Amino acid sequence: MIAIWSVLGISLHLQFGLTGLVNFGQVLPFAIGAYGAGFAAVHGAPGWSGWVIGGVMAPLLGLVVILPASRLTQDYWALVTLGAGELFRLAMLNIPGIAGGVEGVSVARINASGTAMLAALALLVATVLFARRIGHSPLGRMLRVLREDEVLAATLGRDPVRFQRVVTAISWAMAGLAGTLYAHVIGYISPSAFTVAETFLIWIAVLLGGPASILGVVLGTTIIQLTALSTRFVAQWSQLPFEFVANLRLGLFGLVLVLVFLLRPEGLVPERRERVDAASR
Amino acid sequence: MLQAADISVAYGGFQALAGVSLRAEAGSILGLVGPNGSGKSTLLNVIAGVQFPDRGSVTLDGRTVPAGRPELAAQCGIGRAFQIPRLTRRLTVFQNVLIGAPDQPGERVSELLLRPGRVRRREREIAEAAHAVLRRVDLAHKAQDYAGNLSGGQQKLLSLAMLLMGHPRVLLLDEPAAGVNPVLIAREIALLRELRAERRIIVLVEHNMDMIADLCDRVIVLDAGEIIAEGSPAAIRADARVMRSYLGEPA
Repeated sequence: MIAIWSVLGISLHLQFGLTGLVNFGQVLPFAIGAYGAGFAAVHGAPGWSGWVIGGVMAPLLGLVVILPASRLTQDYWALVTLGAGELFRLAMLNIPGIAGGVEGVSVARINASGTAMLAALALLVATVLFARRIGHSPLGRMLRVLREDEVLAATLGRDPVRFQRVVTAISWAMAGLAGTLYAHVIGYISPSAFTVAETFLIWIAVLLGGPASILGVVLGTTIIQLTALSTRFVAQWSQLPFEFVANLRLGLFGLVLVLVFLLRPEGLVPERRERVDAASR
Repeated sequence: MLQAADISVAYGGFQALAGVSLRAEAGSILGLVGPNGSGKSTLLNVIAGVQFPDRGSVTLDGRTVPAGRPELAAQCGIGRAFQIPRLTRRLTVFQNVLIGAPDQPGERVSELLLRPGRVRRREREIAEAAHAVLRRVDLAHKAQDYAGNLSGGQQKLLSLAMLLMGHPRVLLLDEPAAGVNPVLIAREIALLRELRAERRIIVLVEHNMDMIADLCDRVIVLDAGEIIAEGSPAAIRADARVMRSYLGEPA
């Protein structure tokens, strides 16, 4: 699970950490990937079709979603992506024909936990290598320019919208594949797994670890996921109601986020200068 | 030749430019002066595609420069340096100069993955060109500093260096001497002379009248979005309307 969520975190690293795009709907490509697996299961399509939906449909839909947002300011980006994510979830909730509606659907589960872990690690390693290749390249350099000043990029002859599209397609493909894998690891999907809260959990992890650093994103995701997973044990140990501990956890995440903003605005692992400099050698 | 014809821009009820036209020849420096708010920067923005005009057109060597599209204007050969330098403050000086270079295959994912050798070769070429440009603007010793840590004057030289990487035909410079120390101003003046000798077209917005008199072949004076005088620097200094609206009445 940590590996899958790290892939999601890295997809946000590319959009926000490198390019400065505020996407509050990153759960959407993740959900499309998962629903790709669900759609294949419901309609008897071969298993690979779910992966195709995750890896191809998610980025294509991403390009459609950002179409109106391309010429908008960051605030509107956030709203458009947030709205698109909710729209998809509500559609899945109310159209049972696609993948089970409110009841969700069972998906072929990777039963051997070792295999599931290996698959997740393989996806994470591939994602890290790809994101590093971009981050250390002239493309990564130009994305950092866009993060600070789109007008500068444009006056140097670059079309900011083209770069935004490229980054969206890549990061939505990553999140889509992570979603398909998630569905096969859990073995069941329903709309309740893809709420806005999931998007914000990714955001908290990314902001905590350091949005501009891949290592930071993986570290932040690990901390948040371990904390989330430990809720059950804390509830048992403390004899407190599970709901109470779960809500306490959300409060704790909020507090951590405030402390990070105050004490380490760049996150636990800030963008390292030598990493950027590698691009110029 | 750079030509702007009948450029008009209004911000709400405020007429920033009212039918302004200008011409600048290759190998010349055109000065653009006038009081604050007279429309100088807006005119540069229109020529560079940063501002969409309500009316008017821009041509370079007879070819129309697309309006309101800065990336296309830059590709046509128009470079714009801003009054407050636009830089990527969290990148080094060297990396800022690198991004000035057009035609970078490494900015395309397909090239990155499929033709890494080509990407590396072009990066080496760009790096060499960047070192040469940094030497030219006297910033080689600052190459590894963050751009955000440079002084105001050095940042202006850096934004000029970034433009030079793209070999623009036209340089639109917005107050390059404002807030710059005299040593760097002398460097800028020498550099602008070199660029004029290379047959580039330079449009210079500046309040420093000594610099204007020293450098410009022709000067246009704007006031309230209209041209009120045009001519040699000496003629402009003697013009009664210019004295009244901009330079002030003689004591």
